Amino acid sequence: MTSLAIFSKDDSISPRRSRFVSLLFHTLLMVVSIIMLYPLLWMLSASIRPEAEIFSSTSLLPSAIDLSSYWKGWTGLRVEFGQFFWNSLVISVLSVAGNVIACSLAAYAFARLKFAGRNFWFAIMLGTLMIPYHVTLIPQYVLFLKLGWVDTILPLVVPKFLAVDAFFIFLMVQFFRGIPRELDEAARMDGCSAWRIYWKIMLPLSTPVLATAAIFSFLWTWDDFFGPLIYLNDMNNYTVQLGLRSFVDSSGSSQWGGLFAMSTLSLVPVFFFFLFFQRLLIEGIATTGLKR
Amino acid sequence: MTTSVVLEKVEKRYGVFDVIHGIDLQTDPGEFAVFVGPSGCGKSTLLRMIAGLEEISGGALMMDGERMNEVVSSERGIAMVFQSYALYPHMSVYKNLAFGLETAGYKKAEIEPRVQQAARVLQIEPLLQRKPKALSGGQRQRVAIGRAIVREPKLFLFDEPLSNLDAELRVQMRVEIARLHRQLGNTMIYVTHDQVEAMTMADKIVVLNAGRIEQVGRPLDLYNHPVKRFVAGFIGSPKMNFLEGVIESTSADATVIRACGASIKLPRALRAVESDMPVTLGLRPEHLNREETGGIKLADLQVDLVENLGDETLLYARSPDGQTINMSLAGEQVIFNGSTVPAFFDIAHCHVFGPDGTAI
Repeated sequence: MTSLAIFSKDDSISPRRSRFVSLLFHTLLMVVSIIMLYPLLWMLSASIRPEAEIFSSTSLLPSAIDLSSYWKGWTGLRVEFGQFFWNSLVISVLSVAGNVIACSLAAYAFARLKFAGRNFWFAIMLGTLMIPYHVTLIPQYVLFLKLGWVDTILPLVVPKFLAVDAFFIFLMVQFFRGIPRELDEAARMDGCSAWRIYWKIMLPLSTPVLATAAIFSFLWTWDDFFGPLIYLNDMNNYTVQLGLRSFVDSSGSSQWGGLFAMSTLSLVPVFFFFLFFQRLLIEGIATTGLKR
Repeated sequence: MTTSVVLEKVEKRYGVFDVIHGIDLQTDPGEFAVFVGPSGCGKSTLLRMIAGLEEISGGALMMDGERMNEVVSSERGIAMVFQSYALYPHMSVYKNLAFGLETAGYKKAEIEPRVQQAARVLQIEPLLQRKPKALSGGQRQRVAIGRAIVREPKLFLFDEPLSNLDAELRVQMRVEIARLHRQLGNTMIYVTHDQVEAMTMADKIVVLNAGRIEQVGRPLDLYNHPVKRFVAGFIGSPKMNFLEGVIESTSADATVIRACGASIKLPRALRAVESDMPVTLGLRPEHLNREETGGIKLADLQVDLVENLGDETLLYARSPDGQTINMSLAGEQVIFNGSTVPAFFDIAHCHVFGPDGTAI
């Protein structure tokens, strides 16, 4: 009897307490997310309020909706902003393609093919992860200058086709190693060459890791400011990030409204790209054909 | 299409480790050969060497008299069924079956009837559009076999294909594979660690241990005349009893062995034995009997445990000198744990092994 009573007492208390804890928890999370989102919201609101109000008002809500910043931003520079979007898109898409193709090939070689010094080269490749971009910047610049590639998109794109991104290779090697070797062997018995195994077996089973590589490639190239800053001089070749920088003028005639309006627009492709590829991330199908 | 497979002094080395030590073996056309042995004995490695998935370090693999060591797997005319089935998870059953033919450059019109034919043989026609993940274990197994059949190979290799199935399905698939072998008539090599599979399916059993062949022969030859203690212990279930004994006396037409506290007279001479030599007496549980008509008396056994299986009764018992002896009696028997039961055996079913484990 007593134990029963204790149980019922406990039961009546615990849901109420857990509800309180969960309320506290959610409030805390909401506060933190608002803090995180505040700069983004501020930028959004700055892009749609009258330019004079941008730095004078602390409120997130604009006194009036004024979309003229978008128009001014789009046409306010010497080169129309659409050109920057186009340049960025070309570089990003080529980079994604290059990274996915080249890194998956390199990863396939490291994961499945036997060749002399495989482990040594793998270690060297991983070693490149630890070299900061800025260390190789000057020799690289000299190289591309001698090739006559400066002020073209080639220095930003061509290396991607040579599997320079060790991070993606490593990611894919790990994934490929998880694909059962018996599938390769079955394919070999079916008469497949290494190429065909890569193309017909490995790639279709690797959509999650390929999508991951694609998303990050796109994000990193789209957001890259430093690379384009170094290699692109002519304003016609500028990327979005360089274009945004051009709104801020050292002589004091900065167009802040245009800057925030175009910054907002620059998020749109990233948003949609992520939306499309994240579906592929969710589920890998690599092992479902095998009984484990 | 049948083919003969001959292994001549085949060896496998991984660095300095010898895994397969010079194996000689002949498989006749149309034969169902089973490689059996404990795990790590090299049976799968040997199969993979025949398949071309492992390099042959020494010796020769001959198929129909032709050396195959350097020929790539896909050109050896071999199809293999893997333990994990290794179905391509992103392809439908139809695509799985057709993939090998597509790779070989067959046209759609040639592929279609062959896939349909294989599907008919294995009764998987309704499954052709499904993905492997939507199939049960037995269905996946069938698809894996189907993938082997469509290529019309000269030789089928099976690498423990039934070990992932539950007991009931295993028996069913065992029968189906045996039937398939009769229907197709191809040479098949089958690897298993399960001696029951080996006994029931094989034309020829190859017992392997530690990278060497212990014995090759028809199932019942191995059961009745094992040449090694290892083979005797491996073939047959429940396992053969091994009793330690010594030679008491030996003459031209009789040998007396002392084991379990009794003197057992065998009416035959044994090779290369002398008095006081330790030997091992091998008696299968099913050859032990508790009736006097059953032959020579071995000993009175102390029964530790009785298992009534209905069709047979298993006794786990001990001899007076403490050696474990199992008995398998036909039908239902009324025997209680802890009771004493006399054990008799038929002299014709008694095996004797020398100190080095060979039958004498």
